Amino acid sequence: MSLAKGRARFFAGKALRYGITLVIILSINFAIPRAMPGDPMINLLGEDAVRVDRQMLDELRAQYGLDRPIQDQYIEYMLGAGRLDFGYSIHKNLKVTELIYDRFFWTLVLIFPSIAIGGLLALVLGAIAGFRQGSKVDRLLTGVSIFMYSCPSFLFAMVIVTIFSFHLGWFPLGNISSGRTQGFAYLLDIGYHLFLPVAILSAFEAAYIFLIVRNSITQIMGEYFIFVAKAKGLSARVIELRHVMRNVLPQFISIMALNFGFMVSGALIIEIVFSLNGMGTLIYDSVMSRDYPVLQGAFVFLTIFVLAANFLADVLYGITDPRIGDSMNTGKMI
Amino acid sequence: MELSLPGKLIKRLSDTGIKSLDQNPLRSLGIIILTVLVLAAVFAPYLAPHDPKQTGIPHQSPSSEHLLGTNDLGQDVFSELIYGTRVSLTIGFLSGIISIVIGVTVGIFAGYFRGWAEELLMGTTDVFLLIPSLPLMIILAAYLNPSMWNIIVVVGLLGWCSTARLVHSRVLQVREMQFIESTRALGYSDIYIIIRHVLVNTKDIIYAKFSLAVASAMLSEASLSFLGLGDPLNISWGEMIHFAFSRGGFANDLWWWYLPPGLMICVTLLAFIMLTMEGRKDSKILELI
Repeated sequence: MSLAKGRARFFAGKALRYGITLVIILSINFAIPRAMPGDPMINLLGEDAVRVDRQMLDELRAQYGLDRPIQDQYIEYMLGAGRLDFGYSIHKNLKVTELIYDRFFWTLVLIFPSIAIGGLLALVLGAIAGFRQGSKVDRLLTGVSIFMYSCPSFLFAMVIVTIFSFHLGWFPLGNISSGRTQGFAYLLDIGYHLFLPVAILSAFEAAYIFLIVRNSITQIMGEYFIFVAKAKGLSARVIELRHVMRNVLPQFISIMALNFGFMVSGALIIEIVFSLNGMGTLIYDSVMSRDYPVLQGAFVFLTIFVLAANFLADVLYGITDPRIGDSMNTGKMI
Repeated sequence: MELSLPGKLIKRLSDTGIKSLDQNPLRSLGIIILTVLVLAAVFAPYLAPHDPKQTGIPHQSPSSEHLLGTNDLGQDVFSELIYGTRVSLTIGFLSGIISIVIGVTVGIFAGYFRGWAEELLMGTTDVFLLIPSLPLMIILAAYLNPSMWNIIVVVGLLGWCSTARLVHSRVLQVREMQFIESTRALGYSDIYIIIRHVLVNTKDIIYAKFSLAVASAMLSEASLSFLGLGDPLNISWGEMIHFAFSRGGFANDLWWWYLPPGLMICVTLLAFIMLTMEGRKDSKILELI
């Protein structure tokens, strides 16, 4: 089989898998409020539905089609999901989609820099530890990252806020901006407010990925082609950068992608501690008021986001690892 | 030679690695910490100086009467912490057991039988791995009544995917071994081979993964409880932090209220991770995370 054809088949297979995953996720979201104990009307509309007047309730019941057979409801729901329509939040008196659009942006602003910084940090520190395995630096870094792994993110964030904001007063206590500035000063203000949350989230990302990078370097260092490279008399620097790091890359990308869901979860928690106006605080408020439509919409949005990121990573993986699509070698992916 | 019963027991114990403990200080430390925690959980009523539900003067700083001060209702934080050990450990252990049983079953069947069973089981696992678990747990926990048992089920049912993948890849190696082939040639049934041979040869990673599964279940539980989805009748460590956070303990810098439960979570998780450390060859086991 030619390489290009194999590669096209690889991407098509991936696309199919993500499509199926998306349908399954939407179906789970459809099934949960209808299968859970309690009145599905309340489950779909939130606890506040009890307090709404009759007429609106009847209108909404008709809109959700709860009086119609389940397969009709399912088709209706899937069409609505296609238009990114997730219903109406009675509690906030807004359409769920509008509510989410507003908040989602700030969550992205928090997540993307953290992933970039955390990933780079993990790559550099992982290389330092991996090439000097068993040294003091290695043991220190591994110890720190295991400690981070076992520390709940909210606790870590709370301690950092207490030290740096309460006592030292170096950083603001929360919120996205102080709200009086414009233009460039506004951006600087946001950067100042987001410094601590981004730093904490990056640290968690770095701690997690560090261990993987370090282990995969150790593993690659034991392979025959490294032995051959050493025998050829290549310098340690060339072997490390050209041969080892190049082979760490595909695994690095795939673990970054798998970690995306973890990062989203982390961002939600950190937002709550810093009271940033993102998806985390939205979910927190919705949990408190049992505002189910918002919870469902948030779940679907975040999941689609994670799926998209993973799909992108799979495409990147296919580009960085030329063995993909080469049917002779696909069985031996690192 | 058939060993006598006590002899068998000692052999059993040394098989599980008790003997090698003196060469493995980290694992010994983990076992010591966990033993202390389990004892604290079991004997909570005797250890706690106060009834954790009894109210008194709120917001007291730590003193000899209240070792870790009191919360907003005047309840003794130290006693609450000891009782919280029960809740957190119970949730962690039971969720860990659920997730390990599902994960091992899926992994072994997929790895041993291959074919369409593998496609179906590992495909499902991949789908579940892609779904961010915290938002899904939040939704499920929000619909169910806030009780400890519901949290155990929700966390356990969503935590098995990484175990399944790990066990699957190990079983793929084990099933190609010569002795499995000979056993099959002797005509033993698949179930017999799985239980007597495949399971036995994957047990080391199952033990290690169980320890980590309990750790990550406790972390998930802590996050859910922090979000206010915990059981109001059985206060766990995560839930103590939730109350400290939502009722002003954090904003007023009452560190004795939220820091001790947080540190207990850290120490317990570290102990579980330490259990999986294998002396000098720690790099291999860290992949399990």
